[in-house]
Amino acid sequence: MKVNELASKLGYEILTREHNDADIKDGYTSDLLSDVMGNASEESILITIQGHKNTLAVASQLDFPAVLICNNRTAALDMLETAEKLKIAVLRTKDNQFVSSYKVYCEIKG
Amino acid sequence: MVYKSDLHIHSCLSPCGDLEMSPSDIIQTAKSKGLNLIALTDHNSAMNCPALNELCMNDGEISCFFGIEVTSEEEVHILTLFDRLDSVMEFSDLIYKSLPEIYNDPDKFGDQVYVDSENNIIGEVDKYLGSPSGYNIASVIDKVHSLGGLVIPAHVDRPVYSLSSQLGFIPEENFDALELSKNYVLGGNSGGNRNIILNLDNFPHITNSDSHYLNDIGAVYSEFETDDLSIESLRNLLNRYQISMKIAKNRQS
Repeated sequence: MKVNELASKLGYEILTREHNDADIKDGYTSDLLSDVMGNASEESILITIQGHKNTLAVASQLDFPAVLICNNRTAALDMLETAEKLKIAVLRTKDNQFVSSYKVYCEIKG
Repeated sequence: MVYKSDLHIHSCLSPCGDLEMSPSDIIQTAKSKGLNLIALTDHNSAMNCPALNELCMNDGEISCFFGIEVTSEEEVHILTLFDRLDSVMEFSDLIYKSLPEIYNDPDKFGDQVYVDSENNIIGEVDKYLGSPSGYNIASVIDKVHSLGGLVIPAHVDRPVYSLSSQLGFIPEENFDALELSKNYVLGGNSGGNRNIILNLDNFPHITNSDSHYLNDIGAVYSEFETDDLSIESLRNLLNRYQISMKIAKNRQS
């Protein structure tokens, strides 16, 4: 499923002004970036509360098309600037990571 | 003058610090271990630094820096060091205000008390100091540098609360140095995954005891030479990699 379709279906806010509308092949939920780097598969959507630019460093290494920020947490300005440069979408939801994981799983794997 | 420094020491203010860790006992123990420079670096608060300052000024044999071990938004522990009491107290206030409204339960997490120079408890900090602050790594660097302090990610090799555990890499930020843990310097296994530590060699290294108990003070330390002790001179020495990591003699055998 493409980034824009997922965001629209689940009502996610899109915080980045531009991104590649790439295919989301898998998902991974974690707030420890070292864990993400070690265990997530490529082209996943990352479900997390870590709204800072270091999240993008890991996301770009693994070719993630999107990062979903949960609990309506703030995404730092430099995170969004980095994301726009890398063409990675930063989405946001009021749902927590547990609920988000369920909803995203149903869409991309269900 | 040659400085034997332990710049990462917790006091009774840290919930995980022993109640015996009063500023005066820390100073006496540090002197007995042959140190002549220490920094008090509690989690997310500098409320014991005023007592340390008073004791150090009256002591004359040992010098002190003031610090905070900040928990960043990424839950990375970052050592911040200052030579001005007003600067560390200003930073302490900002960090404390940014902590979430989670209050300490001394029975579960430990006491968070601050004392005067004679070890009398003068207050208790309400918010739990183990929580992450509202400052991310980049904003900690900006704020601390603007206040004239040093920014040194703590125990970068450790498996918890470190750059390697939380991020898995050393970001290209304007760090003044990286701190390596006691276990790393002693050659033991610090439990962290050293293979994922990138850019470790791009920064100067220091080591400190990260003491939570009096006995641990000075087990490892960092040594450097200057005739003009200040945070600025330490920053310059770090830039030139003129600081060496040492192991206390009684531990070397």
